[in-house]
Amino acid sequence: MPQAAFAQSKSINYWHTFTSQSEQAGLDEVMKLFAAAHPDISVTPENIPNPEFMAKITAAVVANTRPSVTMVSSERFRDLLAMGALSDMTDRIQSWERRADFADQRFDSITADGKIYGVPGFAFVDWMYYRKDWFEEAGIAVPTTLAEMYDAAVKLTDAGANRYGFGLRGGPGGQYTILNIMEAFGSPVLHEDGSTGLDRDKAIEGIKYFADMAKNAAPPSAPNDGFRQIIEGFQTGQTAMISHHTGSYQDIASKLKPGVEFGTMAIPAGPAKRVARLAYAYNSITKPEDADAAWEWIKFWGEPDAAVAFLEKTGYFPASTTAAQDERIGGNPMYAAASETLGFGIPQPSFPGAAGWAESTVLPAFQRVLIGEATPEQAVDEMIAGLAEATS
Amino acid sequence: MSRTSYSATSSAPLSVWDAINPVRMLGELSETRYWMYVLLLPSALLITAVVLYPTLYGMQMSFREMRLNRPDLGTDWVGSKHYARMLADPIFWVSLRNTAVWATSSIVLEFVIGLIAALALNRNLPGTKMLAVVILLPYFLPNVVAGHMWALMLDPRLGVINDVLVRLGWLDSYKAWFADPATAMAAAIVVETWHSFPFFTLLIMAGLKSIPSDLYKAADIDGAGPLAQLRLITLPMLKTIIAAAVILRVIGLVNSPDLLLILTSGGPGRSTQVLSLYAFQMAYKDFNFGYAGALSVVMFVLLMGFAYIYIRLAKVNQD
Repeated sequence: MPQAAFAQSKSINYWHTFTSQSEQAGLDEVMKLFAAAHPDISVTPENIPNPEFMAKITAAVVANTRPSVTMVSSERFRDLLAMGALSDMTDRIQSWERRADFADQRFDSITADGKIYGVPGFAFVDWMYYRKDWFEEAGIAVPTTLAEMYDAAVKLTDAGANRYGFGLRGGPGGQYTILNIMEAFGSPVLHEDGSTGLDRDKAIEGIKYFADMAKNAAPPSAPNDGFRQIIEGFQTGQTAMISHHTGSYQDIASKLKPGVEFGTMAIPAGPAKRVARLAYAYNSITKPEDADAAWEWIKFWGEPDAAVAFLEKTGYFPASTTAAQDERIGGNPMYAAASETLGFGIPQPSFPGAAGWAESTVLPAFQRVLIGEATPEQAVDEMIAGLAEATS
Repeated sequence: MSRTSYSATSSAPLSVWDAINPVRMLGELSETRYWMYVLLLPSALLITAVVLYPTLYGMQMSFREMRLNRPDLGTDWVGSKHYARMLADPIFWVSLRNTAVWATSSIVLEFVIGLIAALALNRNLPGTKMLAVVILLPYFLPNVVAGHMWALMLDPRLGVINDVLVRLGWLDSYKAWFADPATAMAAAIVVETWHSFPFFTLLIMAGLKSIPSDLYKAADIDGAGPLAQLRLITLPMLKTIIAAAVILRVIGLVNSPDLLLILTSGGPGRSTQVLSLYAFQMAYKDFNFGYAGALSVVMFVLLMGFAYIYIRLAKVNQD
């Protein structure tokens, strides 16, 4: 009976941070496949821009107007867990028929006290895009260390021609690259024993390196450049290299020819460590009342067909090991750097207050170096003081 | 025999029902001086619920430890801890200074341009009605849309404004307006002025319509020129409207971080950091609602103080 069918249908909403056209196309594709597999569940996606995400989710949690499912990035996990936004999904995940498709470490960044609060939907694999044609023209080898990367960036810079070697993200979102650079120079913020703290001298070395890169090889707009600006800079031929993750691949490939005009490479190694983040976008149940339908939507992202369809539209790597072995990925040489990164990538440092400290202290402190308001020493001291404040 | 009672105002005995009849009691109350308080009660309750309670709750929050991502710290009373921290917080002082620059510069520019636009539109020349609609358009745009639009127009790679300035020879190369601390605040003020000057235009135009034309005719006869008429008739007659508009806009400018959030996020460094943005970041990036509450209370007090002093100086209540 139609009425009965209608009565059984369930609607859920899904908060996500997809912004680009390719990401939206990927989401549409997954939704189309889900609708075919689960006609009884309707999903309403709601885009929450990254800068407003924490404000919106905080308000929703406090006012109890939570979405059914929320996309949770690893650096936000601890804050969301602390405010009681997430539901324990351990039992559902342990009895899931596709659990074996996901290595245990995939869940590390969404686990606290033995409880799992989400399922990885797809992976953020850090890598770099470089102008293959420019490198070949200048006879420069693809860099494997940060020192080589600096030299290449400086050689490829011609400010008079508005051409720069490196698209440095010194604006919104740039805080994570700054943390990566400091860690590559030997100053991780989160230590193996769970404690936090910066090694002042090593961190200063990292900041000096990155500030020199900005001064000698990055566009003057670097202190305000965010995601859109660095991607546009690379797409329009202003910059020779940018660091991002595989999720921007299709956007770049829509303007430049893969393998001819641009190539991909693994993040070069620093003096102390090679730091490339291997993070996951988790899908978590945030409204317990909708848990059953939400779980169907969440686990559908682990289906190989959905994961590969999403990759083909966006470039985001599947979190599922089974899906990642698909020929459509392994047979594409442009993804070789991402496959290599899967071997050494590490998760984002995550502790309560991490995201706020990185955005409100690390980024402005580094910007102050870029605009000549502070020395690297002062900037690092500001970061250390801010970290103490955030974690005290 | 039925029981009876006696009202204080009547010598006739009342039945029990009459004594407790709410309609009769209301009727009697309406004859007393307390009736006005009864009439005010619904409004007072509403105001308490939607204005007073949130305000007082926000204020008491500023005296508590309240970090959503640190439930282990509890929500204990911490007295003036957040206010003491504020005094020693260099970002607070930078934000306070930037707030003063941001609000003052924007208000002056918005008022001057709004006044000029209103005076021009008030001349009732052909096409002014259509022009009035066009001039008001920016004000109808949400801050988010206006912010993103201008971020693109001022973009150092693709921005049309850079292109025009280079073609005119006013710039040698494209300028990264929001990446340079010397220009970031100024560029943001230009965007804010463009977005909000129509607010002044709208209110001043309404005020201009209410000024009797006889005053201008008399001034003409007395030989007063346009500038003298503006100084001696128009501005004094618009005093109340201008005062209201300035106060409303200052409140809006001091309290709204959205435009700066989109254009600069307070950067580069702290060069465009203002109090509202700092409070927003404290609340929604650091989840420190106690300190954010303290910042908000300071903004509240500053705005109350400004409004009081401004109204006194403008002598609005003396007419």
